[in-house]
Amino acid sequence: MQTSGNMKWLWLVIGAAVMLALPQFVTSSFAIDIFIRILLFSFIGVAWNLMGGYAKQLSLGHAAYFGLGAYTSTIMQVNYGISPWIGMVAGGVVAMLASLPIGWLCFRLRGPYFTIATIATAQVLMLIFLKFRDFAWGAEGTTIPNLGSAPLMMQFEEKSSYYYVVLGLLVVGLWITHLIEKSWIGYYLVAIGEDEDAAEAIGVNAPKVKRDIYMISAFLTALAGTFYTQYIYFIDPATAFSFNVSIEAALVSIVGGIGTLWGPVIGTVLLETTSALLQSWLGSSVGGIQLTVYSLILMAVILWRPTGLIGFATDVYHRYARRKPARA
Amino acid sequence: MAEALVIKGLSKRFGGLRAVQDVSFTVQENETVALIGPNGAGKTTSFHLITGFHRPDSGSVLAFGNEVVGLKPHDVCALGMARTFQVAKPFGAMTVLANVMTGAFLRDRHVAAARAKALEAIDFVGLGAKEQTRAKDLTTIDQRRLEMARALATQPRILLLDEVMAGLNPAEIDQAVALVKKLAASGLTIVIVEHVMRAIMAVARHIVVLDHGQKIAEGAPKEIVENPEVIRAYLGSYVHPPAQGDAHA
Repeated sequence: MQTSGNMKWLWLVIGAAVMLALPQFVTSSFAIDIFIRILLFSFIGVAWNLMGGYAKQLSLGHAAYFGLGAYTSTIMQVNYGISPWIGMVAGGVVAMLASLPIGWLCFRLRGPYFTIATIATAQVLMLIFLKFRDFAWGAEGTTIPNLGSAPLMMQFEEKSSYYYVVLGLLVVGLWITHLIEKSWIGYYLVAIGEDEDAAEAIGVNAPKVKRDIYMISAFLTALAGTFYTQYIYFIDPATAFSFNVSIEAALVSIVGGIGTLWGPVIGTVLLETTSALLQSWLGSSVGGIQLTVYSLILMAVILWRPTGLIGFATDVYHRYARRKPARA
Repeated sequence: MAEALVIKGLSKRFGGLRAVQDVSFTVQENETVALIGPNGAGKTTSFHLITGFHRPDSGSVLAFGNEVVGLKPHDVCALGMARTFQVAKPFGAMTVLANVMTGAFLRDRHVAAARAKALEAIDFVGLGAKEQTRAKDLTTIDQRRLEMARALATQPRILLLDEVMAGLNPAEIDQAVALVKKLAASGLTIVIVEHVMRAIMAVARHIVVLDHGQKIAEGAPKEIVENPEVIRAYLGSYVHPPAQGDAHA
């Protein structure tokens, strides 16, 4: 145990060093942009995975919290001049509070009905921001005033600075997931995902545990919303509450391995690089061919390895590398 | 002896079906009581009513003097009443140890303490060698053992066992009987629903017989096997077809 624990730390240190040094070596802004996308969607996936992965509550409505985070910080910044760093936390709190009534409604349903209800909540929020123009800028959205280099307002001239911000978010997300996974909450979440009745029978207050994890998941997703708006300097309902965000959050986790710490990260790296490579190889040939190939790869992964790549790797590891010795 | 569980006038209907009608019985502390009856008699429904999975239309359930009707299943469990399911419900993706630790967290949120408690429960039910096995890979009897260990880890005072011997072979039934006796000897109050008569005669001091949702007899095993009402319910004038049977079978 001691050696494998040390090995784990060694890998973490190496990984951290590589991630920190990366922008110093890769200076192409195209590449940095891809890295930022990967880190951002890893982070959203990590947030989604807490509820969708561990507790198997398949939400396809996380765009609701992404959008609320984005709009809260932007309204605070544009209308009141408050720093997005504060707006980010405020957005998280707004998302947490919004998750209470949304969860109260959706958790009455199980399985696919729950999933459909979550889709609806994100769509309803998008419509609200589209229709009520005096609330926030309606359909045309707004641009974020460009202040040049203003770190206190989350605005940077170097793309690499955004890279470090989103890397920090991902580290926080992974750290929270790690703490939850190792504690009683992690066991309760998996138990609920496996069999809610059996969990209740051994004293798990399933509605409360689900509500709490939904709040944490919503909070983290909202942080990603603020970051994304600051990064692209623009917000409108269609981007902030985009169904793609909800899909991507679920997809990267499912492909990587739901209910695992690193699943969403591995899933994002795979999906984003595949999609970027296919785009550059096939994008100029027959229109839409890269999306077709991308979908075929997705279907293959889901059919062939429903436990995701982490599940596949663990199986292989257990089969060939090591048989865990039984407890003496 | 104190009364551990007092059930009074318990009734539940599902549409036109009277699943449980005005059932009353009392379980003394440290006693093992069996709930028997033909399929569809209302045994499992009674368990659901007692443990908060269904809310009774009327009646009361007192566990050590506390009313549990209206409580959620997790509150019932926290009061010291744990149950197993007729169809075992293991957390398949988790190891045996993790399954049982999940139960142990009810009394102690610390991982190390829950782990110690879980290992104790796992050893008690005889799963010691399989703690790292994934629950979905266990055999039927081991899944039943796991259910019992998980329930035990919540440190109950009353244990409700729903057909823990169904689907076991004769040798396994002997092991299961020994385990139930061991549980009883450890000071637990046990209510057991069972079809295997040999097992019931071996473990129960008191038997409650249900038929069509009603209590038709109650007493020591010897009296029950000679009771004409019970014999008629099991053997004679079998009026209802099996298709109309237990909604939870």
